[in-house]
Amino acid sequence: MKAWLRHQKTALRSALLRLAGQPFATLLTAVAMGVAISLPAGLYLALDNLGRLAGNLPAQPEISLFIADDASTTQRSALAARLRQADIAQARHVDKDEALAQLSAAQDLADVTAGLPDNPLPDAWIVRPRDSSRAALIQLAGELGTLPGVAESHLDSQWAERLAAALSLGRMGVWLLAALFATALIAISGNAIRAQVLARRDEILVSRLIGATDRYTRRPFLYLGALQGLFGGLASIGVLAGAGWLLKAPVAQLAGLYGSAFHLAPLAPLEWGAVLSLPALFGWLGAWLSVSRALGQVSAH
Amino acid sequence: MIQFSQVTKRYPGGHEALSGVDLIIEKGELVFLTGHSGAGKSTLLKLVAAIERPTSGVVTVSGQNVGRLPQRALPYLRRNVGLVFQDHKLLFDRNAIENVVLPLDIAGFERRESFRRARAVLDKVGLLNREKANPISLSGGEQQRLCIARALVSRPALLLADEPTGNLDAGYAADIMTMFREFHQVGTTLVIATHDDRAIAAMGGRVLHIDHGRVGEGA
Repeated sequence: MKAWLRHQKTALRSALLRLAGQPFATLLTAVAMGVAISLPAGLYLALDNLGRLAGNLPAQPEISLFIADDASTTQRSALAARLRQADIAQARHVDKDEALAQLSAAQDLADVTAGLPDNPLPDAWIVRPRDSSRAALIQLAGELGTLPGVAESHLDSQWAERLAAALSLGRMGVWLLAALFATALIAISGNAIRAQVLARRDEILVSRLIGATDRYTRRPFLYLGALQGLFGGLASIGVLAGAGWLLKAPVAQLAGLYGSAFHLAPLAPLEWGAVLSLPALFGWLGAWLSVSRALGQVSAH
Repeated sequence: MIQFSQVTKRYPGGHEALSGVDLIIEKGELVFLTGHSGAGKSTLLKLVAAIERPTSGVVTVSGQNVGRLPQRALPYLRRNVGLVFQDHKLLFDRNAIENVVLPLDIAGFERRESFRRARAVLDKVGLLNREKANPISLSGGEQQRLCIARALVSRPALLLADEPTGNLDAGYAADIMTMFREFHQVGTTLVIATHDDRAIAAMGGRVLHIDHGRVGEGA
């Protein structure tokens, strides 16, 4: 056990010395890995922030009912009676004059609306159903839309659902991209380690003659791969932090224009851990594949 | 310590380096292998260290059939055998003492203890003042002594040397042979392949003569 720990320590030390001995190559590999990691990680962050943005918006789905211009008074009161039933949480009537006044005030369109010969807006009900599941919403919107005197019903949750669907598509994209770049990481690490093994061929041959096991020979290279991955992870955190810093002001400006206090959220501690440990794992894996193969070649000659 | 029974080694291509060799080397013996180059001296040493495996026959070292050892057991056999190579096989990416420490590193010794032992053995071969030197800056004789230090640092019971004085002038060669005699006196089994007749005459010891793959006693 003690000897095992000592071997780990020696291997780690040798790997660190090796990396420090060729800072330029180490840096290049770290940058290549860092860029490869930042792409999926950055996309993940962007989607995470978008999801948070979507979550801040009123998520309560609403059904807008537009009343036909020629609806009779009986139809209107029948509709009002229907909207007092138990499946409706809240229903608000918006008079067309009120709607026009709101529109001209909110959008600064007074000039335009003043020029209109008569009010083009319909009377409307804004309905908030009690059951907000998607199926129930569609069913209710459909039912209300066919009532006499209703010109059109409109389900306001549609855009939110579309956004949610787009986000989940994006998340799937992140995983795909992550898988691709993990493969790239294994390849980058394997390639770097292969060069190292071949460069140390003499040392491997001599070590074997004086009693080195394959595990002993492999160990420093595995540490080398894992450390390269770790540095790649650090580089990608640098890239993400840099990108976040650059985007901070434009995002604040955009959010300010919408009157929102939205800001970009950085990685959570767990995600930090993943960005550091997963590349280390893949670096290790690439090194393992490469060194096992290269050791076979070294012994063959 | 070492036993060969009916050992034949044929290399790919058909060259038969050893044919039907029988021999026994006892613990603590000093044995010289002589014979012209290509006679099979190196092959015999390689079979003992399990660098090569016999085509037929059995090679036993300390009771182990080394020709049949699985690959993963070889490192542990080699840790008990010191190897001295004609071409030294030193590593030039590290200094002298780091070369000597390597076998102890491999065996999992504590680093400070390794360096202590390495200094002791460097002192024995007269290289203590060169411990920080890169092997490439050492003379041929010094490189050979460094190689011997590396072979001895793990205190093996058996030392195999293939032409240890092959590239050296007479003065250095005599030094190294004197060193070997000292190791023999403290109980190490030594098998030395050489054609340095003067050294053999000076040191005494058993002589095995190899001719065309056959081994006979005496010069």
